[in-house]
Amino acid sequence: MFNNLIFIILFMLGFYALVMKTNLIKNVIGLNIMEAAVFFWVISFSDVGGEVSIHKLGEEVTKFNDPVPQALTLTGIVIGASTAALLLTLIIELNKFSGTIDREKIEGLND
Amino acid sequence: MDIKILFLILVPLATAFLIPFIDLINAKLRRFFVLLGILLESYLIISIIINNFQSLKKGDFFLQYYLGGWQPPIGISLAMDGLSLLFAVITALSLFLIVIYSIGYIGHHEGKYYVLYFLITAASMGVVLTADIFNIYVFIEMLTITSGALIGFKRSQEASAAAIKYLIYNVLAGLLFFLGVLLIYFNLGTLNMADISRNFASLKSGIQLFISAIFLTAILIKMGIFPFLFWLPKSYDTAPSPVTAVLSGVLSKVYLYIFIRIFWTVIGFETLVSLNLDILLLNLALVSSFLGHLFALQSNNIKRLLGYSSIGHIGMILAVIMLNTDAGFYGGLLHIISHMFMKAGLFVACGYLLQYTRSHAYRDFKGVGIRNRSVFIAFILLLLSMIGMPPLLGFASKWYVLMAFLESGSYFGAFIVIFGSLTAVIYYLRYIAKGFEEVKLTEADLKEEIFSRPLLSVLYREKIVSFITYAYTAIIVGFGLGFRFFDLPLRMSIKSVMDVEKYIELVLGG
Repeated sequence: MFNNLIFIILFMLGFYALVMKTNLIKNVIGLNIMEAAVFFWVISFSDVGGEVSIHKLGEEVTKFNDPVPQALTLTGIVIGASTAALLLTLIIELNKFSGTIDREKIEGLND
Repeated sequence: MDIKILFLILVPLATAFLIPFIDLINAKLRRFFVLLGILLESYLIISIIINNFQSLKKGDFFLQYYLGGWQPPIGISLAMDGLSLLFAVITALSLFLIVIYSIGYIGHHEGKYYVLYFLITAASMGVVLTADIFNIYVFIEMLTITSGALIGFKRSQEASAAAIKYLIYNVLAGLLFFLGVLLIYFNLGTLNMADISRNFASLKSGIQLFISAIFLTAILIKMGIFPFLFWLPKSYDTAPSPVTAVLSGVLSKVYLYIFIRIFWTVIGFETLVSLNLDILLLNLALVSSFLGHLFALQSNNIKRLLGYSSIGHIGMILAVIMLNTDAGFYGGLLHIISHMFMKAGLFVACGYLLQYTRSHAYRDFKGVGIRNRSVFIAFILLLLSMIGMPPLLGFASKWYVLMAFLESGSYFGAFIVIFGSLTAVIYYLRYIAKGFEEVKLTEADLKEEIFSRPLLSVLYREKIVSFITYAYTAIIVGFGLGFRFFDLPLRMSIKSVMDVEKYIELVLGG
C-alpha cells in the first residue's frame, strides 16, 4: 500500500506543478514528475520480491520479477525524455521571441 | 505470413533516417529519395491489394506477420484486416498527396521537414497495422513528438506557444494511455489485443470501468472531443498548411481508428454498454459537435474556423459510430474518408490562398478569390462539399450519417447533422463573399506582396501546389459521383469490426 500512497502523492505534486505554476519550465518538471510517479508505481507493483530474471541454463529459480513491465517502463522513460527535450527546446525558442517563460504573459498560452 | 506489411512501416522509417545522410552528400538528391519512398510505399499497398483481391471480394482478407518469428500471444505481431487495410490505404493516399504538396510549399529546412513527415507516415502505418496494444502506445507517442515538432516548425512565437500547448495536452494523454496499458498487463498478463479481448470480460466490473475510463480520457484528449477540445484550434492555426492538413486529415482519423480498435476489438462494445459508458459517450460526442459548429460561427480566422469545424465533424463521426449499428458504421467510415479528403484539401487550398494575405483573419481574406480564380473555385467546391451539396462526396457521407441517426431513433443526432450543415452555410458563405470583394492595390502593396511570399515566387512550386489542390477537388467530385466505389471496402471493414470472435481466432490461430 505504501507504494500506492507515494504514487498518489507524486502524481498530485506533478499535477499541481503542471496546473498551478505559471513558469513553463516548472510545468515541464511537473509533467516529468507525473511520468516518474507512473513509472515508479509500475516498477514497484511488478516487484514481487523475487530475483532478477536473468539466469544461467539449468539454474533453479523459484521466484522472479516479471521483466515485461520493466521493459515497458524503459520505453516509457525514453519517450518521456524525448518529449521533455522537445518541450524545453520549444521553451527556449519561445523565450527568444517573447523574453519570458511565464505562460500568463505569453500571448497564445494565456487563454 | 506476409513480410510486405512489415515493409509498410519500414520503408517510411528508412526514408526518414536516410534523408539527413542524403543531405550531407547532395541536398538536391533529397526530393528524389522522398519520391522514391512514396513510390515504394504505394507499390507495397497496391501489390497487397492485387495479390489478395480474391479474399478481399470474399470478405475474409487477413494478413499477419510475426516479428522475430515469435507467435502471439507471446510475440508481437502485425495484423492487417479489412479495417486496417481501409485506413492504411486512405492515410497513405492522403499523406502522399500532402508530401507532394510540401515539395512545392516548404521552402526552408526541407530536410528536417521530410524527416519528421516520414516519421509521421511510419507511425500512422504502425498504429494501423499492429496487433499489440503497447505498440500502439509507442506509435502514438511517435505521432505526438513528430507532429508537435512540425507545429512549431515555423519558429515564431505563436508557433512555439501552440506547439507547447499541443505537446503538454498530448503528453498527458499519452501518460494516461501508458497507465491503461500497464493496468491491462497487470490484470491479464498479456499485451496482444486479441488475447486481451478474449479475457477482458472475466475482469471485475470495477477494474473494467477504471481501464475503460483511462483509455477513454486519453483518446478523447487526443481527438479533441468536448471537455478537452481547447488545445486544437490554436495548433491548427499556427502550423504550416500542409502540417495542418496532416493533423486534421490524417492524425484525427488515426485516433478514430485507435478508438474503434480499442473499444470494439479490445474492450468490446458489450462491456461499454454494461458500464453505461455508451450513452455518455454518444452525448459527449454530440455536444462536442454542437460546440464545434457554434465556435466556428464566431471565429474570425479561416484556419481556426476550419479547426472548429473539424471538431464538429469528428464529434459527429464519433457519435454515429457509437450507435453500433451497421448503418452507423457505414456512414461513419464513409464520412471519415470524405472528411479526410475535404479537410486536407481545404487546408491545402488555404495554404495557396493565404500566401497572398497578411494574416489568416477574415478582413485579410478580401479579394483573395479574384486574384487566384481557379484555386478559389476549387476551394469553393471543397467548401460546398463540407456543407453537403448533392453531387459531392460530402453529401453522400452526410446522407448516410443522417439516415443512420434516423434509423436508430437518435433525433438529437439527426438534428446535429442538419444544424452542422446550416451553420456551415453561414460561416463559409461569409468567406466566399469576402473572397470576391474588390480590392484596390497600390504599386507599393504589390511590391511588398511579392517580397512577402517567397514560397510561391518560383513557378514550378506554384504549379505543384495548385495541382494538388485540383487533385483533392477532383477526388471530391469524382468520388461524389461514384461513392458506390467505397461500398466493398466499407462492408469489409464493418465486417471486421463487428466480428470480434473472428479477429481473435485469426490473430491467435494464424
